[in-house]
Amino acid sequence: MKPLLQVNNLTKRYGRLTAVDQVSFSVREGEILGLIGPNGAGKTTVFESLGGVLPADQLEISHEGRPLGMAGLNSILFYLPDAITPWPSQTVNWALDFTVGLFGGRADLREDVVRRLELASLLDRSMGKLSKGQRKRALLALGVLAPQPVLMADEPFEGLDLRQTREVASALRSYAGEGKRTMVLSIHQIADAARVCDRFVLLSGGKLCGEGTLAELSALAAARSSNASPTGLEEVFLALT
Amino acid sequence: MPSPKPALLWLLNKEWRELLASRAWWVFLLLMGPLVGVSFISAVNTYAEASGLGGTSTGVGEAFSPLVGIWAPTFSACELAAAFLLPFVAIRLVAGDRQSGALKLELQHRMPALTRIAAKALVLMLGWLIALLAPLAAVVLWKSYGGSIYSPELMTVVLGHLLNAGLTIALACTAASVTEHPATAAILTLAITVGSWIVNFIAAVHGGMWERIAGYTPTAMVAQFQHGLVRLDVLLIAVTLILAGLTLAAVWIRLGVAVRRRVDESVAVVVIAATVVFSCASLRPSWDLSENRMNSFSRADELALRQIHAPLRIEVHLAPEDPRRVDLEHRALSKLRRIMPQARVEYLSATSIGLFEQTSAHYGEIWYELDGRREMNRATTPEAVLETIYALAAVTPPESDSEFRGHPLAVRPRGAALVFYGIWPALIVVLGFLTQRRHL
Repeated sequence: MKPLLQVNNLTKRYGRLTAVDQVSFSVREGEILGLIGPNGAGKTTVFESLGGVLPADQLEISHEGRPLGMAGLNSILFYLPDAITPWPSQTVNWALDFTVGLFGGRADLREDVVRRLELASLLDRSMGKLSKGQRKRALLALGVLAPQPVLMADEPFEGLDLRQTREVASALRSYAGEGKRTMVLSIHQIADAARVCDRFVLLSGGKLCGEGTLAELSALAAARSSNASPTGLEEVFLALT
Repeated sequence: MPSPKPALLWLLNKEWRELLASRAWWVFLLLMGPLVGVSFISAVNTYAEASGLGGTSTGVGEAFSPLVGIWAPTFSACELAAAFLLPFVAIRLVAGDRQSGALKLELQHRMPALTRIAAKALVLMLGWLIALLAPLAAVVLWKSYGGSIYSPELMTVVLGHLLNAGLTIALACTAASVTEHPATAAILTLAITVGSWIVNFIAAVHGGMWERIAGYTPTAMVAQFQHGLVRLDVLLIAVTLILAGLTLAAVWIRLGVAVRRRVDESVAVVVIAATVVFSCASLRPSWDLSENRMNSFSRADELALRQIHAPLRIEVHLAPEDPRRVDLEHRALSKLRRIMPQARVEYLSATSIGLFEQTSAHYGEIWYELDGRREMNRATTPEAVLETIYALAAVTPPESDSEFRGHPLAVRPRGAALVFYGIWPALIVVLGFLTQRRHL
């Protein structure tokens, strides 16, 4: 089966520094793919390059086996950056309407998204006056309402407490699945990633260290070291990076 | 549930809401009232005194035109606002998206970048039109005093200030797109504005090519419109510069494009704009829409000058800063060029001031050459210029046919202070408060 998206040889340099070096991975339909790595691993650079925010030095993308340009990628993938406060003077309610209206988003999901991400009490608040966690939930709502089949969210659990993280993870899971939404999430908290993701792409120092399910990565880690096969994602990550 | 309106309408709606939420715009609106008020009240008082109020000899004001006496000074407040207030409103609207991260989301819609910038420019222009309600209130007050209004000249002044605002908006949008931070954009915009004033200064000192370039700076452009003169070259060059500025802003507002490519595209935009500007600079059509025809000779003189087909050459031995040269240029030669586009004027001087050239035998001479005949005259008045040309061309000078008798009005600006210093600021404060409460 061909992947929904295939990213090949993604490279981004800042002068002499190579932030992301020849990274390739695939995204399968309906899955939640976690991009895992410590701070400075290049996760955000990968996302910004794919989201059309940063010009990549090298990047080949194919959609269901067909080559895709950046313009085409915008119709497949919606990028939700971390640490932004869009339209700070406008209300959450307006921001949701605007996302649905401008992008031709999923108006049918609006009520459900508001309920599941607990935004009902925040609808009349301006985006700029939300707390970090509230803002993150509002941003995730924008991402879920966008019409593109792939949602790529940078650090979706950043700023959320444990209970909120679990609820948001549960909500994201319910929106993903075969025939529904595909998600690519950048997560630096490995425990969070293990809770929500189906497959993982491990990044360290701008290089790809592994890609696959937990079992596949565990096997890869075992093959690379003489020690016993690691079982948890944290051990796998440490073994492979 | 959002209505299924086109994406562009959503974008315009968003820009309008952002403008309403912008404190910079409300401060700008608030200041427009007192700025216009000071200019209008002072202009009406001066006009009244010249028209005979308070013991001044009656009749002095008969040559007075509201265009020069009232509208030019009243609308000069708009020039001040366009230079020092409007750029901050525009920069806030463009740079705000980058600062907040909204741009990263919005750019994922496949709308052309130029459409995005055009939406911002349209909303900013609407904001400017709302600010023009202050001078419009001055028009209403003037009418209520019994003042004369000649619509073509008033509309010309408004057109000049709309174009000036367009130039400011385009410049501020470009600066906000090119730079990373709004403060840098503000410094860049003000630097270019001050730069254009320096060009005017250099032109006044050195003349020549600088004088030609200075003719297209916003200050010079507005001055022409404030005199009721619409020049096709100025109009087209202003529109070209506005479009070029907005295109440059569109080139730089895109995030995922390599800097090298954006530089190449910018160079292409600048080259195309420069070519268009250079082509437009040679266009000569112009329209004098002032009631007193202040940019034209009398109709009889124009008719007589049109009969002269031989090429006219004028050699002026006066320095750029010599007041006689300024007088000659503004009162005679600029009018002559409009009716005789083939006339060639050459200024000759060794210094910029002319003070130390006075001892030179030829300094101050104005030589006229027509069809091989030459004549010299030192007078710089329009009458003397015309007389010399008629003599060279053997054309009988026509009788004077000036129809303009002026519109003297000896009244004080009743109620203007209340409108501009009281009602206007109070209205803006209340509207600003209510609007921000509704939107936030």
